[in-house]
Amino acid sequence: MADPIRVLIVDDEERFRETLAKLLGRHGFVVREAGSGPAALELLGQAPCDVIVLDVKMPGMTGADALPLLRAACPEAEVLVLTGHASVDIASTMIAGGAADYLLKPCPTEELEGAIRAVYDRRQATRPR
Amino acid sequence: MNPEPTPDAPGPLPGDHAPPLWPHTLLAPGLAGAAVLSALAAPPLVGVGLALFAGAICIGSALTLARRVRRGERELHELDVRLLHSQKLAAIGELSSGIAHEINNPLAIITQEIDLARELFGQDACPAPEDLADIKDCLDQVGKQVARCCQITHKLLNFARKMEPVLQEEALEQVIEDMAVLVEREAAGRGVAIRRDYDQSLPPVRTDVPLLRQVILNLLTNAMHATPEGGTITLATCRQNGRAVIEVRDTGCGIPPENLPKVFDPFFTTKEPGKGTGLGLSLSHGIVARLGGNLTAQSAVGKGSVFTVSLPL
Amino acid sequence: MGLRVLAVDDEADFIETLVKRFTYRQIPVTAAGNGPDALALLERESFDVVILDMRMPGMDGLAVLQEIKKRHPLVEVIILTGHASVESGMQGMSLGAYDYVLKPVDFGELLEKAKKAYERKKLNESRADA
Repeated sequence: MADPIRVLIVDDEERFRETLAKLLGRHGFVVREAGSGPAALELLGQAPCDVIVLDVKMPGMTGADALPLLRAACPEAEVLVLTGHASVDIASTMIAGGAADYLLKPCPTEELEGAIRAVYDRRQATRPR
Repeated sequence: MNPEPTPDAPGPLPGDHAPPLWPHTLLAPGLAGAAVLSALAAPPLVGVGLALFAGAICIGSALTLARRVRRGERELHELDVRLLHSQKLAAIGELSSGIAHEINNPLAIITQEIDLARELFGQDACPAPEDLADIKDCLDQVGKQVARCCQITHKLLNFARKMEPVLQEEALEQVIEDMAVLVEREAAGRGVAIRRDYDQSLPPVRTDVPLLRQVILNLLTNAMHATPEGGTITLATCRQNGRAVIEVRDTGCGIPPENLPKVFDPFFTTKEPGKGTGLGLSLSHGIVARLGGNLTAQSAVGKGSVFTVSLPL
Repeated sequence: MGLRVLAVDDEADFIETLVKRFTYRQIPVTAAGNGPDALALLERESFDVVILDMRMPGMDGLAVLQEIKKRHPLVEVIILTGHASVESGMQGMSLGAYDYVLKPVDFGELLEKAKKAYERKKLNESRADA
């Protein structure tokens, strides 16, 4: 069995974070959560992760602002943008800024999980150990 | 989903393709002038003919100009209508992306709670006893998020409701005081004092009283939430340039300059998700406009904010 | 025809006093002890102003207000509450209440508000006719 995928959820919506963490945890992921960009940076300072699930609209530091900082703090992590904002241009700007993929909220957990695994696998394939 | 920046690009400006003006400014007066001058020197019969010719030129020129002015006005009006329409479309675009976001977030939570509850139920639809509390928690959360969605849609319906104001005479102070006593107890509980500074000489206003109460209550509540313990909210009225002015001042955290232009935008909020819909101030702004007044905001970070309602007297 | 009041409150003592005082001023007033009764009365008879308690067992004041405004949009509602809640005040006002008044309320003040609410209803009706 491969190492579990380490996920960091960055979302200001507390309940969303908690339940997603619970679900992913049940499915074999190692999950940490942060309610804001700065909190996520602090967690990344303690330990790296494989996939960052990043919300776009957050008070203070937005997801778009946080993206380059998160990538700098943990270059090996892939960023999966998850947004309730149906704005394609923000998402595509973030893809241009180095995010691996984006999904629109609400999305079934299965789909989100699939996307996390997909970006993780892609990273494993492109970056040989 | 994203609106085009200019959904309805206005056509070329009137005047771009307009015929030249020189026939009217140079040719017609010149010809008419020449005709009149030669009429003075010519025999009477020819003179009358020339004068008639001069008159005809002037009338023709004037008619052409009048037609052009009228066409210009019509084009300008159409342009106005088109501009208004495009502004409306942009506003609708902004509003719908706001709604999408506000509704999608609770929907995302609901989706997850359902997924988790399903999982806890297990394959044979018989959850383990220790999971029952978690399942109940999921259901409670679904209920909470549905209520959150409802709050948003109800407020939106308030926008849609075409409330024609019903004007009644009422002392402004009374309208404000009704809402102030309502907020006072909670404010006191937060250690925030409410101060009054009413202009006693202010005549009664003719306004839609319940609508104005809604605005005042909203401004007061915002002020209370922005003001830390030990702060003060001041309610003031005065007369300014023939209008009645209400000020709600707070000694709260203030609004950063980059946010100040956005405070009346629908869905703009700095509160945590689910805590505020971001519709209160934009609703209030709409109400005050319907009452024939205006609502403005001034703020200094760290010092506090002033919201000013000015109403016709 | 003058102002007709419907008073809705689950506190029997309070409503009794209210009815007495309106009757003393020769203003027709009917009492209801809960929301569903009040709504049933509104279906049968016409009223101009409803004085509505916020906290009642079963159907609470906000739910009653919402129903009244749905079925009889011109009827004006004055909410009475013993418990100042800014949140429910905001909801009440945005659901179309005429006013939101804290208990204990001075009767003269309440009467004044009821008259104003009645005036508003008349203004609304005359516009609907026009």
